[in-house]
Amino acid sequence: MLSFLVHWIASIPSLATPYALAALGLIISELSGVLSLGAEGLMLVGALGGVGAYLVLGGYPLLALIISMLAASTVSMLFAGLVVLLRVNQVIAGLALVFFCQGLTNLIGTIAGWTNHTIAGLAAVRIWPMSTDHRPSGVAFAQDPIVLLTVPIFIFVWLVLKRSSVGLRLRSVGENPEAADAAGLSIVFYRVVAVVCGSALVGLAGGYISVVDAKIWVAGITGGRGWIAVALVIFARWRPWRALWGALLFGGIEALIPQIAAVGIRLPQYFMLMTPYLATFAVMIWTGVTKYSSSEEPAALGQPYVREERR
Amino acid sequence: MTAALELRGIRKSFGDFLVLNDADFTVEIGSVHALLGENGAGKSSLMNVAAGLYCPDAGSVNIDGVEIRLSGPRDAKAHRIGMVHQNFKLVKRFTVAENVLLANPRPSTRVGLTEIEALIRRHAETLGFEIDPRRQVSTLSVAEQQRAEIIKVLIAGARFLILDEPSAVLTDHEAERLLTTVREIAQAGAAVVLVTHKLSEVMRFADRVTVMRGGRTLAMLEPKSTSREDLTMLTVGTTIVAPRRSSRPARGSPRISVTGLECARDGRSMLAGTGFFVHSEEIYGIAGVGGNGQGELVEALMGVRLANAGTVAIRHEDGRTIDVTHASPAMRRDLGFAVIPADREALGLAGSLSVAENFAIGQIHDGRYGSWARVNRTKMRDDTATAVDAFDIHGVRSTLQRASLLSGGNAQKLVLAREFSRNPSIVIAHSPTRGLDVRACAAVHERVLAARAAGAAVLLISEDLDEILGLCDRVGVMTRGRIVAEFEAPIDRQMVGRAMVDHA
Amino acid sequence: MLDETVSRSPPSTARSTSGAYRLLQGRFRLEVRQQLPVWQRVGITAGAILFGLVICGLILVTAGVSASNLVEEFIIQILFDPQNLRAVLFQAAPLILVGLGASLAFRARFWNLGIEGQMIWGGIAAAATSIYHIGPDRLRLGLMTAAAILAAMLWVAIPASLKLTYRVNEIISTLLLNYIASYFLFHLLYGPWKDPGDSFPHSSQFATVERLPDIGPHLNIALPLAISLVALAWWLLHVSRAGLHLKFIHANASMAQVLGVPIKTATFMAVLLSGALSGLSGLVIVSGMEGRLTLGFYEGYGFSGILIAFLARNDPISATIVAFLVAMLFIAGQSLQIFYQIPFSMVELIQAIIVMCVAASEFFVRHRLHWHS
Repeated sequence: MLSFLVHWIASIPSLATPYALAALGLIISELSGVLSLGAEGLMLVGALGGVGAYLVLGGYPLLALIISMLAASTVSMLFAGLVVLLRVNQVIAGLALVFFCQGLTNLIGTIAGWTNHTIAGLAAVRIWPMSTDHRPSGVAFAQDPIVLLTVPIFIFVWLVLKRSSVGLRLRSVGENPEAADAAGLSIVFYRVVAVVCGSALVGLAGGYISVVDAKIWVAGITGGRGWIAVALVIFARWRPWRALWGALLFGGIEALIPQIAAVGIRLPQYFMLMTPYLATFAVMIWTGVTKYSSSEEPAALGQPYVREERR
Repeated sequence: MTAALELRGIRKSFGDFLVLNDADFTVEIGSVHALLGENGAGKSSLMNVAAGLYCPDAGSVNIDGVEIRLSGPRDAKAHRIGMVHQNFKLVKRFTVAENVLLANPRPSTRVGLTEIEALIRRHAETLGFEIDPRRQVSTLSVAEQQRAEIIKVLIAGARFLILDEPSAVLTDHEAERLLTTVREIAQAGAAVVLVTHKLSEVMRFADRVTVMRGGRTLAMLEPKSTSREDLTMLTVGTTIVAPRRSSRPARGSPRISVTGLECARDGRSMLAGTGFFVHSEEIYGIAGVGGNGQGELVEALMGVRLANAGTVAIRHEDGRTIDVTHASPAMRRDLGFAVIPADREALGLAGSLSVAENFAIGQIHDGRYGSWARVNRTKMRDDTATAVDAFDIHGVRSTLQRASLLSGGNAQKLVLAREFSRNPSIVIAHSPTRGLDVRACAAVHERVLAARAAGAAVLLISEDLDEILGLCDRVGVMTRGRIVAEFEAPIDRQMVGRAMVDHA
Repeated sequence: MLDETVSRSPPSTARSTSGAYRLLQGRFRLEVRQQLPVWQRVGITAGAILFGLVICGLILVTAGVSASNLVEEFIIQILFDPQNLRAVLFQAAPLILVGLGASLAFRARFWNLGIEGQMIWGGIAAAATSIYHIGPDRLRLGLMTAAAILAAMLWVAIPASLKLTYRVNEIISTLLLNYIASYFLFHLLYGPWKDPGDSFPHSSQFATVERLPDIGPHLNIALPLAISLVALAWWLLHVSRAGLHLKFIHANASMAQVLGVPIKTATFMAVLLSGALSGLSGLVIVSGMEGRLTLGFYEGYGFSGILIAFLARNDPISATIVAFLVAMLFIAGQSLQIFYQIPFSMVELIQAIIVMCVAASEFFVRHRLHWHS
């Protein structure tokens, strides 16, 4: 029993990390008023970019992860250009982005031959003098660097958003763009910056999945996690720390599946694979039923800003 | 020579519509200059040019004789021009200090906030306001929010202060306080532009007045040496005979009665036991500035918002009393309800659909325009054409054109046409003349009076006290979600004003 | 609210006028147009599609397909090879159905992204009817059709009622249900329904009575069925009263509510119909094209439906035309896969690029560029 618990808890952080990072990235762009549905696509770009960089640039996992962030940010500029400059409907643009990325990553992955290529990935780091392999608890304290970086990243982003002037301006753009415009801020600038920075985190989440976790690229490796992250943001009411808890919850559920199989309980394989989606579905229903006050949502979320001149 | 802000020869058009036609305007430091005109004359547009929000097609903006280029609000701020708009540019979720900091950036946020809080308190004291810089804007009253806006603009160093219809959202008492303070601000070394359509404000608080009509600036005068009649003539162009309310015939039992209505929005209580009744052939007015639950009351009466408690009951023609508290909008319409909503674009018309469709949707239920299987579009078009004539709607080249192409006054007439063609027995009119020019206002008032004469019970909710006093047989004052006082015609304006303040 | 956000269309060209947009030192100014003549609008959209296709062509050339081969594959082969034309006709039927379904849902401001999940359940229900030999042979196909439609409608009723009752955002809920449905399909095809004959993850072949009947040598009833449903949809949207209700719900839902339009009923019905059409599309593929329940029969149809509805602006007739074009794209995509080893998701990429180009071109429909000096 103890072994089961320890192994389960030990595997949670690496499964929760992509959810946490992606949700944080989405929160950044949504706080500026840009509804970001393209997370699944950007995660795929990050995932492919990471593996591709690893294979091409000589096997440096951290460098590969940086490339995944850059790749996702670059693709997100297309999205930002569409929705912020050209005022395209943000839902359509987000959906198109997902399928664009799915098709593009599939194409590049196949043609460049990066598909189905196992890589060594990123090694875990021993963070505790106790983490030896001899005791079961040793496993829990060997996590990879990205997992360890997640909380500092959250702290940093939270500080910027809540305490700095950049954060204040970014949030004002998402709450009341007319007020921000009248105050002399450039709505376009802050929204594009928010989208690009947020997408870097989403790309990192994707890169983590392929480079660190699965250590391989195949088409669709993110398996819908981007969509779950979008649901997570709503569940977290756009608050970073709640998103972290939610990510741990989802990581926990996902981590349960292999552990149950390992213990020997036989459940239909595909029903087990359904659980993250069922859990997300349940969370969405719960969020809706508890009638969350819409005042928690950034007031201008999803609406393109035009300096409208009414008669 | 005292410094002056001057707009010369400003021309601006939106598509085909010429909003500003060679408009001129000057204001000097130390004075309060009113910009007077009816709704749609172009006052706000002209000031938006000065504030850097609109870019004129022709003309120049000068300060002290030097031409300046305004490509956005930031430039205007740099030139110390500040504008307080009708819809406040405040982020509701932030505190007052954060809002001011947003508009007046400081190098460090934490230090900046403390500095700004001190500045806010100092300005507030000088001006005789009370304002807590740490409070979230959403918790402030409208008047307090306006004060926050003014302080925000003053802290930015505005020398030229533009106020766009500031008294529109205030009670008489609050407006009085504000305008007195504004005079003091001017005397302390600023130039104040007061955009308004209220003559009384001009006469009492302005040193000079420029009259605008149809995008042109007609004249600049001194209110002291001009009569009200002359100013009215300039503003409106002709004399409009306002429809007069005839003396009321005897009334029977109430047609619609509301008791103890309660409802909340986002956790805040908006209606706290509202109760009143309206008889047939009567216009009952609800006076009070916005934000006191009027919107929620209208929504509850329309059937769009569920009340937590209370009842709405109507007396049917055959004498039965029907409880409609939980009735759907469709049922209410069947029972004779008609609604003229305040927000025309959001609730009154579907802009992308045709004029005919917007007209016919009101009666499509009744089977007037075909069955469920086939809509009779020919009849729709014909009926619409008749209504367009009957209700004097201009700008309709074809009943199939989009409703969004109609101007404000004509769009409202279309809404009236749709609602009144059904000969409703209960009319709920919420700010029906908001944003309309005098002619359109008169048309709306005429229709409302006609409905009353035809036997309807009319509920008129408006922030325009003049409108209420001119049309209503009985008036209720609504504050904080309740009717706190009721008056019967002839109504004393002072008493109404006092009722609004006493319970605020 | 997120659901209101996604329901709201971009600012109408109507009364909102000039956006003062400083580009290039104030040389340019953008002005919102009041109205645009239809031909100009179509021209801009067509130009956008062309632009998108050129970009896709460039991508394909980079991926190793020579330019001359491109023209050969996409234009000549498709239009002039009779076998390919037949394939296009076959392919058009399910696409028309999903396009119609997506359009109907969009008209009620419901983003039905669960088309694939609904198709899956349609296929599963049809296969179940076949596998368990439900009903007499004569009625089998009819029962399969009814089962497919019913199953899909039930599947879409879940997110629809969640949205109408609890305002649960339907974009995510329908998508999540897709994943759940596809895993259930895997479970069935790798498990109890695996073909005992060859142990592949597909169901056993359907009997002849269980397949869509042919009309003529190279066509089955799927296409005529689809076309007749287009006519029905046209009646629903342009002639019936419900169509007018939907128009108002789409244009201004709050106003529609105030005026007594039965929003919830109309929306729910439209969404159920949308599901039904997706289920029918599933049946058409499973029974008409494949002849058995297979693993990925639904792939690509979800976004295709959205693309068709988007380009056709939710109009049934235009949707039919666009569906044919998408069918051509599908056939071309299959050729690319077979002859040039380009993965079939290239089709998705092309579709996404076209959607983005057309969506971007809306900007130029709504605004006009003014040159300032």
